[in-house]
Amino acid sequence: MTRIVVVDNHGQFTHLEHRALRDAGVDTDIVDNTTPPEDLDVDGLVLSGGPDMDRIGRCAEYLEMDVPVLGICLGMQIMATQLDGAVDAGDYGGYADVTVRIVDADDPVVGSLAPETRVWASHADEVVELPTGFTHTATSDVCDIEAMSDADRDLYGVQWHPEVAHTEEGEELFANFIERCR
Amino acid sequence: MVDTDAFIDEATAEIADEIGDKNAIIALSGGVDSSVAAALAYRAIGDQLTPVYVDTGLMRKGETEGIRETFAFMDSLRIVDAKDRFLDALSGVTDPEEKRHVIGEGFIREFEREAKEADADYLVQGTIYPDRIESEGNIKSHHNVGGLPEVIDFEGIVEPVRDLYKDEVREVARALDLEEVVSERMPFPGPGLAVRIIGEVTEEKLDVAREACHVVEEEVEEHDPWQAFAAVIGKATGVKGDNRVHGWVVSVRSVESRDGMTARAQDLPWETLQRIQSRITGENDDVARVVYDVTHKPPATIEYE
Repeated sequence: MTRIVVVDNHGQFTHLEHRALRDAGVDTDIVDNTTPPEDLDVDGLVLSGGPDMDRIGRCAEYLEMDVPVLGICLGMQIMATQLDGAVDAGDYGGYADVTVRIVDADDPVVGSLAPETRVWASHADEVVELPTGFTHTATSDVCDIEAMSDADRDLYGVQWHPEVAHTEEGEELFANFIERCR
Repeated sequence: MVDTDAFIDEATAEIADEIGDKNAIIALSGGVDSSVAAALAYRAIGDQLTPVYVDTGLMRKGETEGIRETFAFMDSLRIVDAKDRFLDALSGVTDPEEKRHVIGEGFIREFEREAKEADADYLVQGTIYPDRIESEGNIKSHHNVGGLPEVIDFEGIVEPVRDLYKDEVREVARALDLEEVVSERMPFPGPGLAVRIIGEVTEEKLDVAREACHVVEEEVEEHDPWQAFAAVIGKATGVKGDNRVHGWVVSVRSVESRDGMTARAQDLPWETLQRIQSRITGENDDVARVVYDVTHKPPATIEYE
């Protein structure tokens, strides 16, 4: 069975990421973000959201494990800062309803949601510079880089929360990511 | 989703096995989680379980009577009238965190006494899966009696619904014939109306909050919100008859949600909002205006404090 665990960065929606994976029928668990990478026998990882870039534990090391990684909210920002991208305070906080436009319809994780998808968001900061090798895959009026991907390394980031009930097509996004982990 | 019949059988067997012929106590709030945990434990051990419901005086209209009816099948149910003790303790307290703390301490004192009286060896709690994650992450502590194990040396704590999500607990509640807990009672916070009153909790504000919540629940019922209520948020000027009134401002909130983690403010019809406004200002002399909260969660929370 495909095993994808959720790395907890102290986000309030961490358990909903666990639930989305469980409901999709994969073997899943929530693990502390201080778990040594060698203890993680997994086919994929979800980096949860969270309140604080100073409490991300060993997330940087998980990006080097050669398994697909989906970074959600702070999880995506971790990818950007730990690789060679950048994160900064957005001009306009993204809260609740946001309409996201997919700019890369061929992307394996968000492409199938094209042309538009209605999502629920909760963030003040945002990725302002893509790391090397990444493609800008989605955008919105309140946040330029809503999603980014490096399909060669199977690293994916979304700024919104696909795991919450108010996000439309969140299950489809998880299904797309799970396909990359099989 | 959970297979309710199999779950009920397994959970009942597990509780019976764990508690054996000892005594147990559960804090019954009337919410779906503790109601299901209590019903499962009662199936397992009968009157060895003492369910305790504390009427803090911060309850909704008709709440205590509703509990008494719903759980009439439990002979061992104890209903404690603690209104005066809670209101005394809350007198002069304005900070939201301090309010929660005072109420939490009050619950612990009530249950400490009841647990000793019932000679309870075990504590049963309606902790659900998200509670465990959130408590581990220190976002918030969930249980009114969260500090009880520190003052009483229980032999064990039994949490029969610890692996379920809220909507799954509701399914189990239906299978246990607790339909009224699920359908007739909206989610209600542990600290009760105290968190629907900004600033100090007084009898006057409690009366307004209780009556206004009742009006809102009645008027929005046909729109089937996940949760709907009113909060007393401050004072403002109004004019009633030919008299200036410096009265309460009541904020009405009605949201759609699956699990309370995110919520959408409901798009209620203008006529519904006007009827709510008219009833709340008409039935309460000291309410000067009614506003409707259009904020989703995030950025707002569902409750006010």
